[in-house]
Amino acid sequence: MTSRFPIPQGTLDMLILQIVSLEPIHGYGIAQRLEQISRSVVQVNQGSLYPALHRLEQKGWLKAEWKQSETGREAKFYSLTACGRTQLVAEKESWARLAGAVRLIFNEGTRS
Amino acid sequence: MKLANWFRRKKLETGLERELRYHLDRRISDLERSGLPTGEARRTAMLEFGGFTQIQEEVRDIWLARWLRDFLYDVRFSARSFLRNPSFTITAVLSLMLGIGATTAIYSLVDQVLLHALPVHQPERLVLIDWKGDQVANGFGSWNLMSYPICRDLDQQKQVFDGVFCRALTTINLSSGGDYRAATAEIVSGNYFSVLGVGPALGQVLTSDDDAKPNTNAVAVISYDFWKTQLGGASDVVGRKVLVNHHPLTVIGVAAATFRGIDVGEVPSLWIPASMSTAIIPGLKDLHDRRTRWMQVLGRLPQGMTLRKAQAGLQPWFKAMLKEDMRRAGFPVITPERLQTYLNSSLVLTAAPQGHSGLRRRLLEPLWVLFALTVVLLGLACLNVSGLFLARGSARDREVGTRLALGASRGRLGRQLLADSLLIGLAGGVLGTAAAPLAVQALIAFLPRDNAGTALRASIDSRLLLFALAASVTAGILSGLAPAWQSGRRSLVSSLRERGGTALGGVRLRKAIVTAQVALTLTLLAGATLFIRTLDALMAKGPGFVTSGLVSFGIDCQRSGYSEEQGNQVIRRIDEAIRHSAIVQSSAVARFALLTGGSWNNPMTILAGKRFSTEGRDINLNAVTPGFFQTMGIRIIAGRNFDERDISAPGESGWRSAIVNEAFVKRYLGGRNPLGVRICQGSGPDARPNVEIVGVMSDISYRGLRERSEQAYFPLGGEGAATFYVRVRGKPESSFQSLREIVRGIDPTLPLNNLRTVDQQVDRSLNTEHMLASLTGSFSALALLLSLVGLYGVMSFVVTQRTREIGIRLALGATRGTAIWLVLRDALVMLLVGIGIGVAFVLALGRLVESQLYDVKPSDPAVIAIAVLLLFSAGLGAALIPAHRASSVNPTEALRFE
Repeated sequence: MTSRFPIPQGTLDMLILQIVSLEPIHGYGIAQRLEQISRSVVQVNQGSLYPALHRLEQKGWLKAEWKQSETGREAKFYSLTACGRTQLVAEKESWARLAGAVRLIFNEGTRS
Repeated sequence: MKLANWFRRKKLETGLERELRYHLDRRISDLERSGLPTGEARRTAMLEFGGFTQIQEEVRDIWLARWLRDFLYDVRFSARSFLRNPSFTITAVLSLMLGIGATTAIYSLVDQVLLHALPVHQPERLVLIDWKGDQVANGFGSWNLMSYPICRDLDQQKQVFDGVFCRALTTINLSSGGDYRAATAEIVSGNYFSVLGVGPALGQVLTSDDDAKPNTNAVAVISYDFWKTQLGGASDVVGRKVLVNHHPLTVIGVAAATFRGIDVGEVPSLWIPASMSTAIIPGLKDLHDRRTRWMQVLGRLPQGMTLRKAQAGLQPWFKAMLKEDMRRAGFPVITPERLQTYLNSSLVLTAAPQGHSGLRRRLLEPLWVLFALTVVLLGLACLNVSGLFLARGSARDREVGTRLALGASRGRLGRQLLADSLLIGLAGGVLGTAAAPLAVQALIAFLPRDNAGTALRASIDSRLLLFALAASVTAGILSGLAPAWQSGRRSLVSSLRERGGTALGGVRLRKAIVTAQVALTLTLLAGATLFIRTLDALMAKGPGFVTSGLVSFGIDCQRSGYSEEQGNQVIRRIDEAIRHSAIVQSSAVARFALLTGGSWNNPMTILAGKRFSTEGRDINLNAVTPGFFQTMGIRIIAGRNFDERDISAPGESGWRSAIVNEAFVKRYLGGRNPLGVRICQGSGPDARPNVEIVGVMSDISYRGLRERSEQAYFPLGGEGAATFYVRVRGKPESSFQSLREIVRGIDPTLPLNNLRTVDQQVDRSLNTEHMLASLTGSFSALALLLSLVGLYGVMSFVVTQRTREIGIRLALGATRGTAIWLVLRDALVMLLVGIGIGVAFVLALGRLVESQLYDVKPSDPAVIAIAVLLLFSAGLGAALIPAHRASSVNPTEALRFE
């Protein structure tokens, strides 16, 4: 448990948007998907997923709907709004730029 | 929009609960499937998940910020406790409703009449240009008058102004196809609309070209209101003709909908270029005469120009113009002293973002006085609610103590109090604002109806709402101040230990509040007494003539297309017909109407042994038929009435004789026999005193009831316009129809202006005084009620608190009288201290209303005594009820109660 590093602040929103963009999904599903995708390196306190989900819903990036889940019980499924889709693109871009910049600086450091 | 979450919080909560529950259940069953025992699975799932309620709380914070959520819970709690205690709530809300409603209503008038900037382009750059000194000119109109040519000159001072326009209001006979009606028109220079920055709603507005050559551009722009109400908003109105004083003018456009002229009290029906004025306005002979002042002049300063710089920038040109004017032909011959005042004249600029208004000038002081009084009333209402809160606070003492003991912070309790007071304030505000339009309607009824009725609106706009909101919030917070302070001082231990005990601190504060209420009430009562005395004194004095059974109306023949001479004949014929009517006792004609606020006035030259003039002081003048004095019931004290001897021969100019009033004799001819003294109009060296004084009349009011003026009357000559005074048999109102028919019999198109009884006219001339007296009267009645309720409340509380003490005293042998005195002493202290402070207020603030008073000083001992006596006896009455209850305490029961 302790070997997994905590998720950076603000990145959780982006990850959630990314996961939801694939298909409508409920909170538990997102938690599981986060575990799988990140191969258990990223640690998410599962409960803290929900404030994030509700924040994104308030911002209008996610919309939610109660539907029957795979177990037959009703669950709240989130999906991306048009607004959320633009936001995801923008976040991905800025992430790529940041990552690129960081890599550039690191490369600079190793060369000298 | 987040606020909407508050109202669907139930749904959100259950949704969240289900969602989280689903997650946990799924996790538990997944873990079980992977082989964990049931209890272990549940524990692991919970651990992974984190605190359930903590997550809920975090999500709630996202729905609605915490402070707002807390505040809304406070408000809900307040609302519930208010609803549980309806008598408290109703009293508090009604108090604030009265205060806020009255303040908002008066503020509506203050805003409309005094504060509202014109709906024109950058109104803050508009200035009124006025002449300080002596213009050596004849005036037509009332304030800030200058000549048309000076306006044109000023418009050329491009270094100082972006543009200068002039305007004059005039009453016209207007027909748009049907009957002639009296209407208001604004005579304006051609650049009026462009300098103001007002455009058309339809067609076009006047331009400088329309004003270029005299009497060539017979055009007019009509107001949006006139277009909508009188012409039914016809889309083909441009190009139509309207008849103004029987002159056809072509409508070239409709002014913008929001623009209602630059005078808040007079909404013009149409705007006419000044170039048409000599053709249209009877009596105006030469538009380009530099010595006829009749228009107000306003200008627009360029961006960044200050008043002071503009004023200084004008002086070189102005001084040169004064010298140049002096050398022009037609400049009157005047005394050297007068010439000096003329040459020392200067132009004064004042900011005029609200335009120019006679109504504003007249109501400026009364409205501020009323506004100040309503603020006092609102303050009283707040004090009342404070007292109520404190009373409720002591009833809730134990609840609050318990909450404190359970760990509520004092801040939290303070916030609860804030929510309480804001809620009460807003409830009072909503009701008050809802009632305000009615109150404004009632207020407008006090103002001169012909202009204020059309110009002022009893509607609620955003500015007024903002004001009402500010007033409500302030009132709410002020009401909550004392209770908050009180609760801050409360000691936790004592409040829990007490058993229906003696919250003495609260009582002391409540007594202070009642004392303040008494002081404010005395101020209002004294104010009301002053204004009522003023109205009474004016009514008792009267205009100096007999008003009952007297009817008056005006006829202006030249406005109906007659020449001056024809007009005079028409007036003679109407006079003849009226005098022969069966319903008429006697009748007379005067050139100018009395009690309208205006007059014909001029300085005069008097030849009585030596020759002197009334320099600097105008005599009020009128011209009347011989029947005037008898019809009006005015006594001729010395000499004789007018008769055939006074009628000028054909071709003879000027008058032969005059009758002056007592005030004239006293001021100018003290001790001399006035009969035979010669006088004339004008004060220059060229004035020829050749009019003989043949009689002296008793003093009457001319402009209004307040004034005492020197007056001179001449035999009626002509000018084709006159006011008829008719003393009728029977009810005066029932004569209106017959009078209309008489005039119609002579010319069916001739309108009767201002047909009304003279009693009505007297009332109208006193409408400001009526307004002040009735409003301050009702305000102080309300104030008295509020403070009596306050006094009664606190005294009853004290009696309840001290029942045991009183019981013991009675058991130990005290008499009923001592018990009464015990309670009454407290009330007396509050009343006397409050009255003392109130008297100090009255003495300090009295001079602010002095100019509104008549025949009474603000420090008049009788007035203060009446107010004190009224307040004291009412207060004593309110205190006696609880005092009596104290005296009837049964000692045995009071002691058993413990």
